[in-house]
Amino acid sequence: MRRYILGIESTAHTFSVSVMTSDGVILSNTKSVYKPPEGSGIHPFEASQNHLVAAPKVVADALDLSRIPMRGLCAVAYAMGPGLGPCLRVGAVVARTLASSLGVPLVPVNHAVGHIELGCLLTGSKDPVVLLVSGGHTMILAYSGKRWRVLGESLDLTLGQLLDQFGRYHGLASPCGMAIEEAASASSSYLRLPYSVKGNDVSFSGLLTASKLLMDRGGSFSDVSYSIQETAFAMVTEVTERALAFTGKKEVMIVGGVAANRRLSGMMSEMSRRHSAAVTMTPLEYSGDCGAQIAWTGWLAHTCGIQVPISESKVLQSWRLDRVDIPWRN
Amino acid sequence: MSISLGVTERSPGRLLYRGAEADVILGDWQGLEAVFKIRKPLTYRLQVLDDAIRRQRTVHEAEMMHLTKRAGVASPFLYDVDIQSSTLIMQFVKGDRVKDLVASLSGSQLDGTFFEFGQNVAKLHRFGIMHGDLTTANVVRSNERLVFIDFGLSLRTARIEDHAVDLRLIKETLLGAHPDVSARALDALNRGYASVVGPARTRVVMKQLQNIERRGRYARVA
Repeated sequence: MRRYILGIESTAHTFSVSVMTSDGVILSNTKSVYKPPEGSGIHPFEASQNHLVAAPKVVADALDLSRIPMRGLCAVAYAMGPGLGPCLRVGAVVARTLASSLGVPLVPVNHAVGHIELGCLLTGSKDPVVLLVSGGHTMILAYSGKRWRVLGESLDLTLGQLLDQFGRYHGLASPCGMAIEEAASASSSYLRLPYSVKGNDVSFSGLLTASKLLMDRGGSFSDVSYSIQETAFAMVTEVTERALAFTGKKEVMIVGGVAANRRLSGMMSEMSRRHSAAVTMTPLEYSGDCGAQIAWTGWLAHTCGIQVPISESKVLQSWRLDRVDIPWRN
Repeated sequence: MSISLGVTERSPGRLLYRGAEADVILGDWQGLEAVFKIRKPLTYRLQVLDDAIRRQRTVHEAEMMHLTKRAGVASPFLYDVDIQSSTLIMQFVKGDRVKDLVASLSGSQLDGTFFEFGQNVAKLHRFGIMHGDLTTANVVRSNERLVFIDFGLSLRTARIEDHAVDLRLIKETLLGAHPDVSARALDALNRGYASVVGPARTRVVMKQLQNIERRGRYARVA
C-alpha cells in the first residue's frame, strides 16, 4: 500500500515542504526563500522571521497540491541539522506540531544526507562517488560500511561560500552563483589565482582573498568570475578524480546548490570520461535545498524505524554527515 | 639540460602505472634504464592553469627528491627534468615494493624492515619533510636498503600534525592491506621512529595521530 510522508526543510535561506509517496513520487514541493539585501549574506534571525511568517502557507500549499489529507500522512520528517540555529528551530517547531497533533512519528533527517538520497532517487545512481557542493558543504563522499565516508573536503570555505562572499564583495545578494556563472561566460581571460589542493582536500580562503584583491585593483567582475570558476572547479574536479581512481567506482553524482553550474558539470564530465565513469546530476529544481530531500530521506529512515520523541527533538547546528548511520543502504 | 627534450615522446617504454595524475613508464635514457614520470595534460583544466600546475609540481617533486637525500633517506637518482612535458626522468630502482614483500618475510625480517622503515620516516620528519603518500607501495627494498619513491604529495613542514598524517596513512595501509602482520609491523615501525627522534617527540606525534583519528576527517573507504 502506498504511504505518504511530509518533509520540512529549513536549514538556511529556504523554508520548503514536500509530500512524497513511499515509492518515491514527489506530490508537492513548495517553498519560500529568504532574500537578503544586496551586498549581504543570510542573517540567521532575519531568515528565521521569513520562515515563521511563510510556514503556514507553505505547509498548507504543499498539502493542497498533493491532494493528500493531513490524516493520510504516516510520518513527518524534519531537517534536524546541520544549519543555522534560528532557521532550524522554525522547521522543528512546525514538524513537532504536525507530528504531535496527527499522532504520527517524527523523523529527524540530516540535511546533507537528504541531498544525496534525493539525488540517488532522481538520477537512478546506485553506488556513486558523490560531490556535494553547496553553501554548507564541499565534500567528496562514497558509501561504505553503513555510512557515507568523506574522501575529501574543503578545509575552510565551502564552494557556495566562496562564490557568495565574492559576489557580495561586488555588491550582489546571496546566492550569487548564477550571476557569477553568467559573468564568467562573458570572459575568457584567465587571471592567476592560488590553486590549493592538499592531499585530497581543498582550501578556498586564499583564493577568495586574491580574488577580492584583483577587484580592488580594478579587475573586471567578468574576468575575475571566470578565473574563480576555472580555478576552484578544477581543484574540486581534481580531488574527485583521485577519489574515483581510489575507489574504482563508475558513477559520479553532483548534488547541492552549486551542482546547477554548467562549467562545473562540464569539467566533471570531461574528467569522468577518462575513467569511463558516468556523471549524473540532480535536476535543477531539486539540486538546491528543498522539502523533497527531507521527505524522501525521512521515508527511508522511517522504514528502518528511525524516529525521535517530541521531548528529545532538538536541532543540531553542527552535525557531520559521516556521523550518521545509514541503515537503509546495503 | 635539454638533452632529454623529445626523448619522452619517442621513448617506446612500458607503462608501469597509470595514476590519476601521472603515467609512469619504464624506458631508455642515454642508454640507461630509466623511469619516466609524465604528468599528462588534464583536459578539464584550463590549459594555462594546467600547464602551470604540472610544471610546478614536477619541479617541486624534483626538489623534494633532492632534499630527501640530504635528510639521509634514499630516493631514486634524478637524471633529468623535462619541464616542457612535465616529465621527471629518474633511476629505475630494481627491487621489490615492501607491499609485495611483506607476505614472504619471517618475523625477524618483518621487524627489521619496519624498524628501518620507521627510522627513515623519522629522518624525513626530522629534516622537515612530510612524504604525503606513505604507503607500502611507495617504499622499495633494493640492495638491502629501503628506497622511498613518489614525492608528488610531499611537503616541507615541521608541523606535528603533518608528521602525524604521514604515520596515520602508513598505519591505515598496514591495517587495510596487511592486517595479519599490522600489529607487529607497527610496533617495529614505532620503535624505529623513536630511535631517531627520541621517545618524547614520538609520544607527541602519536598523540596527534590519535586526535586525527578521533576527528574522523581522514576516514577513507576500506
